[in-house]
Amino acid sequence: MPKPENFLPLKTNWFHILLSLAAGEQHGYGIMQEVLDRTSGKVRLWPATLYGSLKRLIEEGLIEESSDRPARELDDARRRYYRLTRLGRRVLDAESERLHDLVRILELKRAEAH
Amino acid sequence: MKSLAMRIYRRLAYAFPHEFQMVYGADVLQLGEDAIDDIWARHGILGLIRLIVDISIRLPVEYLAEMRQDFAYARRTLWKSPGFAAVGILSLGLGIGIAAFASSEFFNLILPDAPRIQNPNRLVMLQGVSYPYFEHYRDDQRTLFTGVAAYQGPVPFNVSLAGATAASITKAERIFGHIVSPEYFSVIGVRAARGRTFDPQIDKPGNAPVVFLSDRFWRERMNQDAGAVGRSIRVNGQTATIIGIGPEDFLGVVPISPAEIFVPTTSPAAMVPELAGDTLHQPASKFFSALVRLAPGVTLKSAEAALDTVTRRLDADSLDPARNVKGRRVTLLPGGKVVPLPREIVPVVLALNIVLIGLVVGIACMNLANMQLARATTRRREVAIRLSVGASRFRLIRQLLTENVLLALIGGGVGVLLAFWVASVFEKLKLPLDVPMNLNVTPSWRALLFTFAVSLASGITFGLAPALTATRSDLSSTLKEGALAQTRGFRRFGLRNLLMVAQVAGSLMLLLLAGFLIFGFEETNRVKIAFDPQKMYLISIDPVRDGYTAEKAANFFENLPDRLKRLPGVQQVALTEEAPFAPLAGISTLAAPSGPGRPEQVVEKVNKQTIGAGYFASLSVNLLAGREFDSRDQKIDVTKGAVLPVVINQAAASEFFGHADPLGRRITEASRAYEVIGVATNIPSPLGARGEGDQLATQIPVVYLPLTRTEFAHSPRGGMVVMIRSAQGADSMEAVRREVASLDPNLVIFNVRTLAEQVDRVSAIIRLDTFFYGAIGGFGLILATIGLAGVTAYSVARRRREIGIRMALGARKGQVLRLVMREGGALVVAGSLFGFFGAIIVARVLSAVTNLFGPSFTAGIRDPRLIFGAPLLLASFALFACYIPARRSAKIDPLIALREE
Repeated sequence: MPKPENFLPLKTNWFHILLSLAAGEQHGYGIMQEVLDRTSGKVRLWPATLYGSLKRLIEEGLIEESSDRPARELDDARRRYYRLTRLGRRVLDAESERLHDLVRILELKRAEAH
Repeated sequence: MKSLAMRIYRRLAYAFPHEFQMVYGADVLQLGEDAIDDIWARHGILGLIRLIVDISIRLPVEYLAEMRQDFAYARRTLWKSPGFAAVGILSLGLGIGIAAFASSEFFNLILPDAPRIQNPNRLVMLQGVSYPYFEHYRDDQRTLFTGVAAYQGPVPFNVSLAGATAASITKAERIFGHIVSPEYFSVIGVRAARGRTFDPQIDKPGNAPVVFLSDRFWRERMNQDAGAVGRSIRVNGQTATIIGIGPEDFLGVVPISPAEIFVPTTSPAAMVPELAGDTLHQPASKFFSALVRLAPGVTLKSAEAALDTVTRRLDADSLDPARNVKGRRVTLLPGGKVVPLPREIVPVVLALNIVLIGLVVGIACMNLANMQLARATTRRREVAIRLSVGASRFRLIRQLLTENVLLALIGGGVGVLLAFWVASVFEKLKLPLDVPMNLNVTPSWRALLFTFAVSLASGITFGLAPALTATRSDLSSTLKEGALAQTRGFRRFGLRNLLMVAQVAGSLMLLLLAGFLIFGFEETNRVKIAFDPQKMYLISIDPVRDGYTAEKAANFFENLPDRLKRLPGVQQVALTEEAPFAPLAGISTLAAPSGPGRPEQVVEKVNKQTIGAGYFASLSVNLLAGREFDSRDQKIDVTKGAVLPVVINQAAASEFFGHADPLGRRITEASRAYEVIGVATNIPSPLGARGEGDQLATQIPVVYLPLTRTEFAHSPRGGMVVMIRSAQGADSMEAVRREVASLDPNLVIFNVRTLAEQVDRVSAIIRLDTFFYGAIGGFGLILATIGLAGVTAYSVARRRREIGIRMALGARKGQVLRLVMREGGALVVAGSLFGFFGAIIVARVLSAVTNLFGPSFTAGIRDPRLIFGAPLLLASFALFACYIPARRSAKIDPLIALREE
């Protein structure tokens, strides 16, 4: 399995997609909506870009298509569902860690300046 | 608005590559439909635009990604079969390299216009014109032409630059240039970058001498002197004033032989020996070319017709023997081209190039296609599996094509390198020319673009058939049977067999055509020398251009041979205007006047040479009748209208006089008359044969004129050649140099070479051609061999089971071998037949349309070494190519072959 560090820093689109899948599997429309909600409408993953990114993420082995379907009443049979792979989860963790570190360094600097 | 955006979006969504479409197509579409209301609500029209832009950016990205995948896959596959890749790249590389080299000749020399000349398409040229004729063209046809100029060139000038003091004159250099009528620059539309050009209103006879220099001369020899205009310069020992410098890159009207200095026809004969003897008023001295600028709307045909009428009238007035020539008297050449090739020749050269390039590239590609077909059988399983898991056939075809394109591109790269290499070799070659030639055959961007297109097109075209065949199959049976399954379309007249026949035919055609050229060249260009050519030295001296007066130069040459003959070891000394064994140009038209019982006999394309006393003796050439020139003949005063004695060669004797005795008979040229005093055997020399259509080549008729004081007064552009034959060779040369220096230390001896070197230089061009065509022929042979081996190997693999059964039923190894060989043999015989007759047809057509290759082809076609040798050579290679894989069939173990099912 490739090292998660190889993928860092993660492209913004990829990060948003992985983040949306962190809670569980999701379809394309769901991912788009979630990113919109999460960023209060600031970030929109446009359809073609979204699926292009999904394709690349699958090729890289960060996500996979899910064969499990959610509960019947929530299932939208027309759509494909995606979920994180183990590698994907580790990449997401590594990226979160990296961002977290960055923020911590930033705060330290700010504290010193005061 | 929304629905329009959605319609565009949907269109674009359907345009995604097949594989992306299969997986994500529906989702992309769905997502767009689901999101569009929200987008419209939140972002308005900008959002819709953003949606469309997003998908239109994504489209090419996906296609590129797929292409990259294809290339990566192709690279891996080729890496896995290095033998196939190497042969493919090498054969395509060779083919494309030859194509690139041949096309650069076309793109660099034949196609382009001469630089700096205004509106070059309206400028035409007429060669072999005398100055009085030119004046008539200029003055009589003012409605058809907007301007007519005359020039003579390339002509050498001994040029030195005067420094600040009289003592600081630079050493004289031989610079080539044009003698031009004052209209020259205005007719070709070239302006001076500094100073002025010549002007008929200003530059009149009797004025102080002036010259015009090229930009190159000014840069390389005058250090871009800002005050160059107005400075004086020494030309052939006379002082002249520089009146102007030309624009950059301008090197005269025929830049393949660059002109660096321009001298007006109004110059004194002391400075320009070519103008001595009242040349400008002699209708017979046809050393000028006329440049004609056509008036708007005037066609070339009408110009040619008008000039023809004028010329015929002038011919009649001056009693020129050319007046009796039938057909067109005037042929106009393009005036604004790098090489002024006649218009009819251009398509011929183009056609020959296309045929050769087509054959070479075509054979290389067919070979590749054949190998791909053979591979297709072993790759059937791979293809079938990919088809069954959902790859589209289009995608697979594209993938197989990508492999070919990759091969073709790498091959193209190899080919371009090869072309550059050949060009550099060609440039280093020392050409046997008296004048500098600018033969640049380094591939230009146009040739490279052409090559790129050829390689890409060949990659695609010849990859398509194998790709189509490979992907057209019955899935289930293929998967079951694996590599042994029959591929459709491989029956007796199947694609592969057709390709193979075509390839053998093409190879034999190449081999034969190349052979015709090589053997023909050898036959028509053979040089026979009766003595050791190392022992004859040729030196050139040009006293007139070293500042001698006509009188002084004539005296010098009359004494020189005797002085040299007295040196120890020197056996023979002779003077000549042109070195012996030079390529013969037959351009004159002469006539034998009618006599009792005999009509006038006009002979065209006669070569005239001017030679000194003892010329034939020094070359050990026999005289069949009469005598050769001696020192008495050199003293004849031509200006008094005396009848000049001439020696003619055998070919001329039979053309002018048939079987009659030529001695004492007259030959006329314009107003001059000659009397035949001797007949010499033909001296075979390169390009010395001529042939029309499919007649057997004959030697060019040569009329030898004696050197007289007129010739001594203005030596030819290569200087006067002194031939010195001695017992020891090199040792005598020192004595010769000392002797000339003792006569005059300022005389420059140049171009010193042995006769062997002279002949070698002449044949270098021919050898290069031989090498080139030989390489093409050999290349075809090798490719055909590889192709045949591939076909037979494939056929053996395909028939494994059948052979196994036959052997199990008791067939012997020899029988099996014969069975396999028979198939290959049939292809070879069929291909050879087509190739043989194809080659003969092409050779006949080519020799019928052009005199350029005519003699070579006609001589080549009759050479039994070729007619029997080439097919035999090909057949033996072919049989060998069949035998190697066929032997493998005999080694098939029936048990194993049958168990494999």
